[in-house]
Amino acid sequence: MTDLIPMGALGTPDPARASHGALTLTENTALMLISVATRPGTPAPHPLGLHLPGPGLWSQGQGAAAFWTGPGQWMIETDVPDHAERLRDAIRSAPGARLTDQSDGWVCVEVTSDAGPAPIRALLERLVNLSPDQVAPGHATRTLLHHLGCIVIRRAEDHLAVLAPRSAAGSLWHLLRETASRQVPAATA
Amino acid sequence: MLIPHPLLGLRDAQEFTYLGDAALLNRPDPAAGEAGFADYVYLRDNPAGVHRELWFHEQGDRSWLVVTRNTLTHEILGAELARDVKLGGTA
Amino acid sequence: MSRLDLPQSRDALIDRNRPLSFTFDGRPYTGFAGDTLASALMANGVQLVGRSFKYHRPRGIFSAGSEEPNALVTLRSGARAEPNTRATMVELFEGLEASSQNHLGGVRHDLMAVNDLAAPFLSAGFYYKTFMWPRAFWEKLYEPAIRRAAGLGKLSMEADPDSYDRGYLHPDLLVIGAGAAGLMAALTAARAGAEVVLADEDARMGGRLLAEGGLLDGAPATDWVAQVLAELAALPNVRLMPRTTVFGVYDHGIYGAVERVSDHLATPGEQVRQTLWRITAKRAIMATGATERHIPFADNDRPGVLLSGSLRAYANRWGVTPQARATDPVLIFTNNDDGHRTAQSLLARGVSLAGVVDSRSGARSLGDYTTHAGAVVTGTKGRHGLRRVQIRTADGSDSWISCGVLGVAGGWNPNVQLASHHRGRPVWDGERLTFLPGPDGPAGLIPAGAACGHGSTIAALADGRRAAQTALTQLDRTAAAPALPQAEEEPSAITALWHVPGQRRAWVDLQNDVTVKDIKLSHQENMRSVEHMKRWTTLGMATDQGKTSNVTALAVMAELTGNGIARTGTTIFRPPYTPVALSVLGGGDTGANFRPRRLTPTHHWAEANGATFVEVGQWMRAQWYAQPGETHWRQSVDREARAVRAAVGLCDVTTLGKIDVQGPDAGTFLDRIYANTISTLKPGRVRYGLMLREDGFLYDDGTCACLGDGHYVVTTTTGNAGLVFQRMEFARQCLWPELDVTLISTTDAWAQIAVAGPKSRALLERVVDGFDLSNDVFPFMACAELTVCGGLPARLFRISFSGEVAYELAVPARYGHALMERLMERGADLGVTPYGTEALAVLRIEKGHAAGAELNGQTTAAMLGLGRMVSAKKDAIGAVMSRREGLADDSRRLVGLQPVDPGQKLPAGAHLFAEGAAQALATDEGWITSACYSPHVESYIALGFLEKGDQRLGEVIRCANPLEGQDISARVVPAHFVDPEGGRLRD
Repeated sequence: MTDLIPMGALGTPDPARASHGALTLTENTALMLISVATRPGTPAPHPLGLHLPGPGLWSQGQGAAAFWTGPGQWMIETDVPDHAERLRDAIRSAPGARLTDQSDGWVCVEVTSDAGPAPIRALLERLVNLSPDQVAPGHATRTLLHHLGCIVIRRAEDHLAVLAPRSAAGSLWHLLRETASRQVPAATA
Repeated sequence: MLIPHPLLGLRDAQEFTYLGDAALLNRPDPAAGEAGFADYVYLRDNPAGVHRELWFHEQGDRSWLVVTRNTLTHEILGAELARDVKLGGTA
Repeated sequence: MSRLDLPQSRDALIDRNRPLSFTFDGRPYTGFAGDTLASALMANGVQLVGRSFKYHRPRGIFSAGSEEPNALVTLRSGARAEPNTRATMVELFEGLEASSQNHLGGVRHDLMAVNDLAAPFLSAGFYYKTFMWPRAFWEKLYEPAIRRAAGLGKLSMEADPDSYDRGYLHPDLLVIGAGAAGLMAALTAARAGAEVVLADEDARMGGRLLAEGGLLDGAPATDWVAQVLAELAALPNVRLMPRTTVFGVYDHGIYGAVERVSDHLATPGEQVRQTLWRITAKRAIMATGATERHIPFADNDRPGVLLSGSLRAYANRWGVTPQARATDPVLIFTNNDDGHRTAQSLLARGVSLAGVVDSRSGARSLGDYTTHAGAVVTGTKGRHGLRRVQIRTADGSDSWISCGVLGVAGGWNPNVQLASHHRGRPVWDGERLTFLPGPDGPAGLIPAGAACGHGSTIAALADGRRAAQTALTQLDRTAAAPALPQAEEEPSAITALWHVPGQRRAWVDLQNDVTVKDIKLSHQENMRSVEHMKRWTTLGMATDQGKTSNVTALAVMAELTGNGIARTGTTIFRPPYTPVALSVLGGGDTGANFRPRRLTPTHHWAEANGATFVEVGQWMRAQWYAQPGETHWRQSVDREARAVRAAVGLCDVTTLGKIDVQGPDAGTFLDRIYANTISTLKPGRVRYGLMLREDGFLYDDGTCACLGDGHYVVTTTTGNAGLVFQRMEFARQCLWPELDVTLISTTDAWAQIAVAGPKSRALLERVVDGFDLSNDVFPFMACAELTVCGGLPARLFRISFSGEVAYELAVPARYGHALMERLMERGADLGVTPYGTEALAVLRIEKGHAAGAELNGQTTAAMLGLGRMVSAKKDAIGAVMSRREGLADDSRRLVGLQPVDPGQKLPAGAHLFAEGAAQALATDEGWITSACYSPHVESYIALGFLEKGDQRLGEVIRCANPLEGQDISARVVPAHFVDPEGGRLRD
């Protein structure tokens, strides 16, 4: 093991965290991301039985989840290091599948609500120009958050994850906090 | 505008980058020489009416699309993956 | 403050238990919650609220809505001062400050009122013809003077202290306007389960139902409004958006709207001031109602003259009438039945009525008041407000009637603007005497209610329901028909009367001071199209966009041409429907929100170590690291550059684009992307690559590393990373989809640090885990995957941008900060020095390495001296065109330049000329691309492209920068100022 100490994308060793009304934002530093690509039109691989979903979708499996990023391309997420290693091996052995580790390519902020789906929906309305069915639970898509290209994953009614290029972590965090904080006076008014 | 992405459905044009005439799919063979390439590189149709054009879903799935659009009304008559168009040889 | 009695149920419209203090032109007044500034001013007897645009005539409140042409005030003060707000749309709040506009001295004694005496010189098109000579006077004298004299409010010139937001909605149905038609449409669609957004520009929903005296289901209409709104508010599929103006229709069902979130508060506090909504609706219903028109007559612009329907609204909704003296009676002038409805409402409110002047010969009273049938208004008197009105009766006799208020009813114009935004042309209805939305309006937008001519309450309710059912049917849904409330009959007969002919000025457009005479003059001067008339007279321009004047002006014009209104047509309507602040169109994209900022993995380390940052695209890069005692950036940069040449330096190069290229056809693919051959590259090796544009010019350069069979990592320049990726995807998907290759951008995944200088190997040996860095095993242009610092996966590339032995070490981005610290710590005794982009540039200029300035889109590989890199054996993007005449013949070559006087600075961008030659385009021999001070050469140096430069070494030429009067002698030298043989980087 290296003795170098990893740094969160926001420049702090510990995951960043903030609460605004019913919404809690947490930097997910444990997330490992593996990009899988195949030649478009060939069958999707099933690494360790994980289902790689179709366009616009996100699906959860045992110890890992996956979402579609483009024709013949997916991103696999897991927060279990051993499982990540097994997944990498499985992808390497799948015919025609290519692997690119993206764990450090993205910052991931988990946004959860303790007041049901309404605060998440209100937040989404201010962030992305997507219809509610395009960001319904089980959906994931790359889109624009204001001027920032991001991936939005609706993990559950009350749970959203936003991935942005790691270098733009500060801008994403600012954007999410500002937008979330503006929901608070509106909700209490 | 809304672009009917063949895989992702209606998506706002904000997510796309525009390139222009889909004739860019028809890159000449090197044997066509400078004259053939000069046409390809410099001459484009820009019709007032129905036009087939290339759009890149840059803030999305990174697909290049061939979008058929009426440039007078902005009505969109269809969108296909450029890859399919090229492989199908219908460009 | 005086108020009329309102029926009990209507008290909710103004809250008499919540008095609010405000000031107008510094004088204190009181109003109630629920008031607009206009209604509160009326309640206080303030009739004069501003001065007109051109003639500085006294003006009063003319309407009760967003069509207001006169009552433009500056709201608030200091940085929040906002000019040209319509008093009719400003909700009263405690402490509101407003001031009148466009006067010199007080509004009552405006010194600029002399303009009115000069009226004969200020007629239509005056600025096109009156101030023409002498020519030079226009810019210096006439224009500034006119601008000072004519105009609206003034900007504060201070930064806007408030914040703005944006949002996106995707309803099935957007209902624009919450009057009778809009409410019924929303109710019909909402009960059917559709996702409905109901937007209204007013703070209170209900539209004209709040302003009429009529009953619905036997109770005040406001009761029905409240009941419908309560039902809608309780439904989860409905979103009510008061204070929200839908200002424009865009392609494919996209609507722009501004929500005034906190304009009704003294300050926004924690909230944003306004929100820009982008609403993508499957269908929309345009229930925007209608705007009343007036009838121009002599001196019709006096305070106290206003629209009859607005007068009715003020009486019914706010309990006020606009007399300067409460006892003055009210007179109505009408050409249709609606004027009589105002008379009825005023009588019901207990207002003293002087009668109704009705231009129709057979007109009869609808209540206990005098009607002057077949009569017209021919003049007014009163200095700051209306005192008397002159009428000409059916028998042709003139008489004066004393009154303080004159309500004018000329018929209603449907608000067709949104339906006309896609160049939809409204069509003339000769029976209703109105323009109606045309059939060629925006797809998916369905007009309803008064907006398409169904102006009576009962007709509007039914039409709103019909529109919602139509919309839902088009969406393959069905909607049941909710029962309509019982409403009274509203007679609406009208006989055309567009203006009262006369000798004195009769205003058509109050906001722009355009009279009937001006339109006639414009016609005489051959302005035959409405578009020409509009521009010649300025009719319909500015903040109200002619809402109360356009149709009347068209009618006057039609009368002059004899063409009829239908053939005369309208001008084009464009967004926005009402004025929208630029700040909200920006949606809050200022300051930190202007654009995303990308930070390198060592950003915080650099910040803590004295770095000055520079923006490179979205990236923030360390430009130099100032050390204590360094007072000028050059000291820092020279020190950093020297350290790299003498010892070892560290530079974060994470910003270079990195693209992972994998697949069995990856090599073939890269051969077509790069001008040179890549497929022959062996695993563990790196090659410099040149990308061309298809037209043969240079596009980008970078390195390509082969990590294994069918696996490459391509780097791009920082600025082009996104574009190169896009272009490679174009090649992959659109040109050669048969190749099996995939592209993944990994720019952010790796922290990449350049370790450069003669002691770089010694430093790296201290961090790699037993990896042999010797020249034999890991030579120049080698690459490897390895581990560092006790097991951290890393990639090492032996590439050099400086001409020294150099490496780039990449580790997962989260370890970049710690790696930087480790390298600094381990290299302390070697003299390790962090360097920024400025020293990086000095080092590469000294080495003659091309960068953005040399790859500016006008240069070729041959010009860089790299012509042989363009392979003739294979097809690649740009290869064919690079061989064409003109490009292949270009004999300009990259050279180094050194000033004859070493202390003289060579300016980048300077053009190169032979010694003694005339300096002109024809003798231009090239230009300087990059320049810097070289601590190695101890002189300023430069790179540039020079005609036959490779054959002119030693020649002294001129570097000319005529913009700054510079003309400097410089000697042509090889482009490599250090180690021209290239031995050092291979050591």
